[in-house]
Amino acid sequence: MAEKKKRFTRRKFLIGSGVVGAGLVIGVAGLNHHVNKKIKKYSGQGLGDGSSLNAWIRIAPDNSVTLAIARAEMGQGVYTSLPMLIAEELEIPMESITVVHPQPESPYANTFLVTQQEPNAFKGYSLMEKVYAYLPVVGTGGSTTIPDGFNNMRYAGATAREMLKEAAAQKWGVSRDLIKAEAGQLIYQDKKLSYGEIASAAADIDLSELPTLKNRKDWKVIGTKAKRLDVPEKVVGEATFGIDVRPAGMLYAAMLHPTTIGGKITSIKNKEEVENMNGVQKVVLTEYGAAVIADNTWRAKNGTLMLEVEEDNGGNADISSEAIFSSLERILDEAPIATPENEGDTQSVLAQGESISATYRAPYLAHATMEPLNCTVKISDESAEVWAGHQAPSVAKDMVSQESGIKKDNVTIHTTYLGGGFGRRAEPDFILKATAVAKEMPGVAIQTIFTREEDMRNDMYRPAALSRFTAKVKSDGDIEAWDNMMALQSVSHSSMNRIMPSMAVKPKDDTATAEGAAHLPYHMANRRVAFGNYESPIQVGFWRSVGSSQNAFFTESFMDECAHAAGQDPYAFRKEKLNSHPRFAAVLDQVAQMSGWGAQDGKYRGIALHKSFGSIVGEVCELSKVDDTTFSIDKYYCAIDCGTYVNPDTIEAQMEGGIVFGLSAAIYGEITWRNGQVVQGNFPDYEMVRMNVSPITQVHIMEVDEYPGGVGEPGTPPAAPALANAIYAATGQRIRELPLIKSGIEFV
Amino acid sequence: MFTYSVNMVILGRDNNAMKLRINGRDHEVDVEPGMPLLWVLRDELDMTGTKFGCGVSSCGACTVMIDGVATRSCTLPVANAQDKNITTIEGIGSPANLSAVQQAWIEHQVPQCGYCQSGMIMAAEALLDEIPDPTDEDIDQKMTNICRCGTYQRVRAAIHTAAKMRNQASDLLGSI
Repeated sequence: MAEKKKRFTRRKFLIGSGVVGAGLVIGVAGLNHHVNKKIKKYSGQGLGDGSSLNAWIRIAPDNSVTLAIARAEMGQGVYTSLPMLIAEELEIPMESITVVHPQPESPYANTFLVTQQEPNAFKGYSLMEKVYAYLPVVGTGGSTTIPDGFNNMRYAGATAREMLKEAAAQKWGVSRDLIKAEAGQLIYQDKKLSYGEIASAAADIDLSELPTLKNRKDWKVIGTKAKRLDVPEKVVGEATFGIDVRPAGMLYAAMLHPTTIGGKITSIKNKEEVENMNGVQKVVLTEYGAAVIADNTWRAKNGTLMLEVEEDNGGNADISSEAIFSSLERILDEAPIATPENEGDTQSVLAQGESISATYRAPYLAHATMEPLNCTVKISDESAEVWAGHQAPSVAKDMVSQESGIKKDNVTIHTTYLGGGFGRRAEPDFILKATAVAKEMPGVAIQTIFTREEDMRNDMYRPAALSRFTAKVKSDGDIEAWDNMMALQSVSHSSMNRIMPSMAVKPKDDTATAEGAAHLPYHMANRRVAFGNYESPIQVGFWRSVGSSQNAFFTESFMDECAHAAGQDPYAFRKEKLNSHPRFAAVLDQVAQMSGWGAQDGKYRGIALHKSFGSIVGEVCELSKVDDTTFSIDKYYCAIDCGTYVNPDTIEAQMEGGIVFGLSAAIYGEITWRNGQVVQGNFPDYEMVRMNVSPITQVHIMEVDEYPGGVGEPGTPPAAPALANAIYAATGQRIRELPLIKSGIEFV
Repeated sequence: MFTYSVNMVILGRDNNAMKLRINGRDHEVDVEPGMPLLWVLRDELDMTGTKFGCGVSSCGACTVMIDGVATRSCTLPVANAQDKNITTIEGIGSPANLSAVQQAWIEHQVPQCGYCQSGMIMAAEALLDEIPDPTDEDIDQKMTNICRCGTYQRVRAAIHTAAKMRNQASDLLGSI
């Protein structure tokens, strides 16, 4: 207790004394500390040739530019979109840029991830932003990369541009205002200098004022379909993912987890026998499970298959899907633990006259990233080196330090490309496990991998959920009352206790639970959204679009039910409830118009509208009927309002892919439990949408001059309800349970 | 007792010297004949462009060509790849000399995370070698790899573009 108190006091002291302010990019006063004097303060300044103008930008004599981008590139295009923001202000061609991932240090913090407030480090951080930058919180998730970086990266570019101009101004003896920066060149009358020629002098410039950002009308990069910087190496097999690192002398380890959720492997019965297998170096038992270290992944995996272990099942052997859903149903009838929305008097209105009611159901889901989880760790006497594709390198660093006892400052994290993240790679488990294994062979880099089966059976799952709706819909279509009671495990409670225990929330305070269920844009005079909590040893985690992943299916399917109950067209029914939300109405109109809504052309259409992560997405699914239970998903139409957009091609790709991700879950996705163990282990029993089922998606991005929202997740939530609503249009069958294959529906 | 969906029988535990012809070059390896080609490529030869996804021939991330035929290397015992021409992603083009498929992949900005794309590209190369001008139905039937990011529609568009590029190139050769 005393220990804790002491630490708290020390942190408070540091913040109060201004150490944070001096060390960070805070305000104009902080700017100069940050933009260095060729003194390397942050890892981003030491990467590549040349001179650092600040923690992000380094310019070499040949005019090539190295940018330190501390966001995980997991396919969502951040290694291109953040450089676009810098390039816009710095006035450099995208082709001159090389991206590197720096260490998790303060300038690279993602404060928006925690505060959900538009940050501007150059104008000054708020107190809480300072705290998160000091820690620092360096992570990628919650579709926050652009909302966090939109101001900061442009100011980073503009600051460097003005430093370069000032250095040229001093060299030429003219005013800075007269110099033009263009395509990596500084120009004054007939004089010309490349950035590379003056960068060394520019690094010594002290700017006394914050630079002015370009007007939107002058943008040349932001809003264009810039080619992604990571694509060329990804088409020749040269992109390095975590599983591809090969530090000298590296060995491979395969994990064997306890078979029961919450269980523990207590002993290994045939250690010696397995250690005698070809290529096996060592068999280890850690608190997370057993591992076989070998000179090759396959030999390590074979070792784990031969292991005979004793296991304590932690008393969880009776966990089954049937028992879980019985508990969830019971919770629906109990008093809620939280009521995130309560307007009017929903219960009284519903007590009078007729109402409609329906209960919806969604299963547990695995992330199943294409690259199975892995992490490479080398523990030396007083330092650790880590190679991993992780969404939160600051968390990874903490975990390695915690598990190995090595001081945080002596832990180096090499962040590679991520072969899919979707929230799974924000979890610390695979870092902790790899560190525990590496500890057993100090001085040797060990790549610890989960086979697909170990990956799928030891996930942090999207929780199963029930949602029970009761609504009173008047004959004119007005929803007089709307009640939604949900039952599920709390994601933030489970996940944050693992990722950052200091920021963990109680289930009743978890805003992710009713995310996308509360505060719907539709006019409803009386409404209540409430939830109950299901406690379980099953670990649940952030899964692309989190609460919205199931809540959009629930709410937008039930909205359709309400429309049909009133005898109205589902699009018109929604539209008339959006009078006070013009941005939602515009998206809905746009997607309806694109899809040819209402056409009598033998196609069946379902519509859904959902806001998540600051962006509004409308989708229409267009189906053809092959027979009564077999359909072809021909097209998706998608309109997105994400405010100001940075790279429209990336946004289209995120919508296309986000829809496929949603469809895989809607059609096939289900993780089930039997005897405390996960039944599914690999793709044949946890199927994905493939080429033959995948639709063609047409995307429209709305022109809206507002602060940007996220795009990595918002495409996913409307996919399932648009499909289920289209199936209703085709068959009159209302599907209230995912996945659809359980209702005997097939897709070709 | 928990049972794994074990995919590989542990074949022949003793090493065997074997010759492999990969991307036109000969390599000698001394490994168990039952070791899947995937792990010989990745861990013995450090050719990491070919990826591990499932280990059960389902996802296609490990696709290579064996004598021109798209093959999932995660379940192919290395012994069965002897005396054959093995082509991997490293063998079909370089950044300076991209194949038509790779160029089309860049034109359509196909990859997202990119992890499945080596296998996807190898499957597309084999498809176009077999069917120079594939229909959408051909693509549906032949392209069975999983892409968790959901890049399928761009893969489809890029295959059609690559087909045109390849056919124009061969027309040009024919006219000389």
